[in-house]
Amino acid sequence: MSDLTRRDLFRGTVLAAMGGGALFLVRKANGQVVWQVDASRCINSRLGEVGGEACNLCTTECVVALSAVRAVNEYSRCGRCNICPAYFNITSAVDEHGYPSEKLCPRDAIERKPIGKVDPEDPANNFYEYVIDESKCDGCGKCVMKCKEPLGLGSIVLRVRHDRCVNCNHCAISEKCPKDALRQLPVGQALG
Amino acid sequence: MQYRLVQSTGGFNTAIRGLATDREGLLYAAGDSEIKVFDAAGRLLRQWATARPGHSVAVTDDGSVYTGEEGQIEIFDGAGKLLRVWRNTGMLGRVTAIGFLKDGVLAADTADRSIRRFDRDGAFRNKIGKDNPVSGFLIPNGVLDFALDAHGVIWAANPGKHRVERYSPDGALLGHIGKFDGNDPAGFTGCCNPTNVAVGDRIYVTEKAVPRAKAYDFDGRLLAVIADTAFDANVKNMSIAAAPGGRVYVVDTVKLAILAFEVAS
Repeated sequence: MSDLTRRDLFRGTVLAAMGGGALFLVRKANGQVVWQVDASRCINSRLGEVGGEACNLCTTECVVALSAVRAVNEYSRCGRCNICPAYFNITSAVDEHGYPSEKLCPRDAIERKPIGKVDPEDPANNFYEYVIDESKCDGCGKCVMKCKEPLGLGSIVLRVRHDRCVNCNHCAISEKCPKDALRQLPVGQALG
Repeated sequence: MQYRLVQSTGGFNTAIRGLATDREGLLYAAGDSEIKVFDAAGRLLRQWATARPGHSVAVTDDGSVYTGEEGQIEIFDGAGKLLRVWRNTGMLGRVTAIGFLKDGVLAADTADRSIRRFDRDGAFRNKIGKDNPVSGFLIPNGVLDFALDAHGVIWAANPGKHRVERYSPDGALLGHIGKFDGNDPAGFTGCCNPTNVAVGDRIYVTEKAVPRAKAYDFDGRLLAVIADTAFDANVKNMSIAAAPGGRVYVVDTVKLAILAFEVAS
């Protein structure tokens, strides 16, 4: 180690950086690296932050028209509730049927579908599926914020849709994201 | 009617999932894979280990302590000596509430989303809350809770329907109290509330997001919001127990504390 000079160290550092950069470019050229929202970092879905307004930077900052980010309902975690706080504005006035009178999504991108036959005597006696229309969703995160624990079950998360994402080197959303939730991952590790 | 916080009891490391009181007003808590017994002043009197993490606890009139766990119920004497184990993974998936009839034992099984009725020897008699179009209670929070009134009527939280439902021991639905409302505190808000229920001289419930404890009369009229700012905002499934004299105990599942409330006026 005593023969190691500062010049050697500098050269090594430069070569390592060039190697890393080259690896990134190769992966990028091969489409092997993609952007992804880390749900454990995203303000809208991370646990422990309740009661705040949804962050909508994924909508406003993305260079793609209508954003490349979408809300996605992971059905395996969804409670299929009669009254879903991500679908209804649960603080709106209750209508004559006992449901909130307003929907939450400003783009009406969530559809509520009964699973099986609805009990006409008691519609609460049923499960409901919540389907997000990705042609309408712009990733604003409002439903994600209302779905997260403990208000909901956290089944709705934000995902970068890779058929829409143009895979910028410097993702405009990631540059603004206050929680550094936009991450580049190898394709094999990415979701959605 | 108003309630005030009179006591907060800690000493738990990982979880508090179940609460119960006995005839003398002692408080039993299931948590940390232990049963802890406190007096009314919050002093720890005794504690003992359970074989598996306890999800519920209940005390008979003769002082036997039943602990609901995954796949089994452990039965102890009042000093913590194990008397019996009812082991039945099919019938006791995860037992999150236990209650006693004159001639039997009731166990809430979240795996089946129903309440099961057994005789005192552990022989299965019938299910409660299963005979409906959704084949059970709607419990997205993963806990099924119930309590019995002085007449043997079962009051079961059905959070997905925003109700507390009344059942007879043979499983007949007798009625319910409660409805959804995101603004009026008399209603139950969110996707699925109330999560937990206790019965004493009133009906007591807890809710999540926004966490609060409330008292109702037996006709479903809101008597009091017992507390709505005392709990961590991220809690859910706050077990609740009513003690003789009107005291109400509520678990804060994040702060790992048992809060005691009494009527202030």
